[in-house]
Amino acid sequence: MQLAVNIAVLASIYALICCGYVLIYRVSRVLSLAHGELMMLGAYGLYATASLFSGHPLLAVAAAGGLALAVGAAVYAALMWRMTGESVLAAVLATIALGILLRGLMVLVFGTQTQYPLRDLGWTNASFDVGGGARISAVGAALVLGTALVYGSLFAFLRGTRWGLRMRAAGQNPLLAAQRGVRLHGIYALAWALATFTGGMAGMLLASDAGLEGTLVTIGLKAFPAALVGGLDSLLGALVGSLIVAGAEVLLIHYVDPLLSDVVPFVVLLAMLVLRPWGLFGSREELDRV
Amino acid sequence: MRSKYLIAAALAALPLAAAAQDAYVVGVSAAMTGPVAGTYAPVVDAMKAYLDHLNAKGGVNGKPVRLVVLDDQAQPSRAAANAKQLVAQEKVLMLLNTSLSSTYAPMVAEAKSAGIALYFAGAVCPKDTFPPADPLQFCSTAFGANLDSQAALAFVKAQSKEPVRIGFAAMAIPISRGEIDYAEGLSKTLGMTPVEKQITPPPTPDYTPFATKLKDANPNWMYSWAPWVSQVRTFEAMRRLGWSGRYITWAHLNAEEELTRVKDGGLYVIGTNAFLEDNLPVHAEMRAIAHRANLPHPVSYLTEGFVAGFVLETALRNTPWPPTPQKALAAMNSLKVDLKGLRGGPLEWTKDNHFRTRQYYRVWRWDPAGNRVARVQDWLAIDVKQ
Repeated sequence: MQLAVNIAVLASIYALICCGYVLIYRVSRVLSLAHGELMMLGAYGLYATASLFSGHPLLAVAAAGGLALAVGAAVYAALMWRMTGESVLAAVLATIALGILLRGLMVLVFGTQTQYPLRDLGWTNASFDVGGGARISAVGAALVLGTALVYGSLFAFLRGTRWGLRMRAAGQNPLLAAQRGVRLHGIYALAWALATFTGGMAGMLLASDAGLEGTLVTIGLKAFPAALVGGLDSLLGALVGSLIVAGAEVLLIHYVDPLLSDVVPFVVLLAMLVLRPWGLFGSREELDRV
Repeated sequence: MRSKYLIAAALAALPLAAAAQDAYVVGVSAAMTGPVAGTYAPVVDAMKAYLDHLNAKGGVNGKPVRLVVLDDQAQPSRAAANAKQLVAQEKVLMLLNTSLSSTYAPMVAEAKSAGIALYFAGAVCPKDTFPPADPLQFCSTAFGANLDSQAALAFVKAQSKEPVRIGFAAMAIPISRGEIDYAEGLSKTLGMTPVEKQITPPPTPDYTPFATKLKDANPNWMYSWAPWVSQVRTFEAMRRLGWSGRYITWAHLNAEEELTRVKDGGLYVIGTNAFLEDNLPVHAEMRAIAHRANLPHPVSYLTEGFVAGFVLETALRNTPWPPTPQKALAAMNSLKVDLKGLRGGPLEWTKDNHFRTRQYYRVWRWDPAGNRVARVQDWLAIDVKQ
């Protein structure tokens, strides 16, 4: 039972991070390599709002979420908007530059010391019994519930709302969507805002569990194989890919060798690239073009 | 006409040259930014603050000490470029490394080719500093491979009335794995039963899967020797799984602050630096200097940097003016530094021992009854031999 809980928590971490990669890629075909940094910025946002709204943790969390949305939209408006019409490679390089800039800025503004946003919010990460002798931490439970909520909301948004329909249209055929009156810049900005929000949420929860420090960026990249395994343009794929990678990782740690946990996501990814390069739920046509 | 220009240029260059030669110049390559900067930047900032304080009081032998700090972001290529620049352009008396062990090789190569001392301050002491030492490599960093595990397991043995079933946790980096392998072997010779060993990759998004396996092995003691993040996250994950044993781990820079954050009486830290809780006169001096320099780190993070500052001060004081790398090297080969109580005794380097001749250990934990960090074991001395 404990293994199942461990898999659920790790898969939730990966799925929440992957969500941002997929949202941006499926709408604009740009692979954001600044996602780890944006995730960390979201966590620093929580650290800042926790100090700002001391004694009002819910307000601080809401403000941090709003900040992450605003940052995502601002990144699009200030940088990625100018990449429209440029090659995909130029846009990807722009995200790399953005990542380097953000990393430097975060060190300058917040320093190098480990921070604990959860403590600043006045909360503790207690654990509780979930039956079968298994336990889960409060942050672990928040990760699982938060990921379910995010994915449920995104599926509902994309399938059941006008903006969601426009977003899917822009992802499938931007030229046709634009000719039908869809404002592409608005859709792209929304995708960046949502991606930064979900990435930021992952950053906030990870920082609440393990503290906020520079290695958070690398964890952002660690989730990337899960997105590729599921298919880079499929939200469902991100969910399934995360479950596969997390399952393989936890089971190998327990039954074989903990050192394999670092390698297994890439072994799964390699196997997938050999058997089905577009991923489990990815679009074959689009990836062939890339 | 041309010779006039040459003379003018030479005259213009004179003040610069004089300025460059009118100080003890020390070159530092450090991880001031990047993912591991939290471990290394406080050391350099504290050392620099102490040397600035020294300069304000007249310097060393009447001359100022100039610290040239270059950021290597813990990247070997940057460390190599920094070492070249420090030696060729800054003409430093010695090189300092405060960074990850992956940056050592290029700096060692540069130090060797220039024939100058390479001093590791706040960075893991390489084996070459232990007796018989490499002629050019020196180290003052608190932790010492093998010695730390000897002291930690001796403490576990002394504390335990029941048979010890011990688990081990390391990070998947060579130095941590090597030390934990050594400790595992040592535990058997001390009559303990090693029950499980987990090695976590850096970084790990969730430590629970590793902690689950450790907890399932049911150890009554755990020992971890790794970067702080790995040590404390494993402990916290085990506690959340319901494990109730005792955990001993290395006291990194942030240990005192972390004991206060975690507030768990079963978490022990072993280290060689005094804590602020000791409230020594030197701590008041550290607080004042840190305040004046407006350092962004808690004072409890600064001990390692002040130790390095004291070492540099003594080494340079023993380097007669005008200084040369050879004179500095000679001074370092026979050095005894008064650490004002920051460690259990003086730091002593000899021709064959560039680590220290004696290592002193203390153990602390959070005292729930007293609601403060409490010392559990006072200085235990271990002689450092070949």
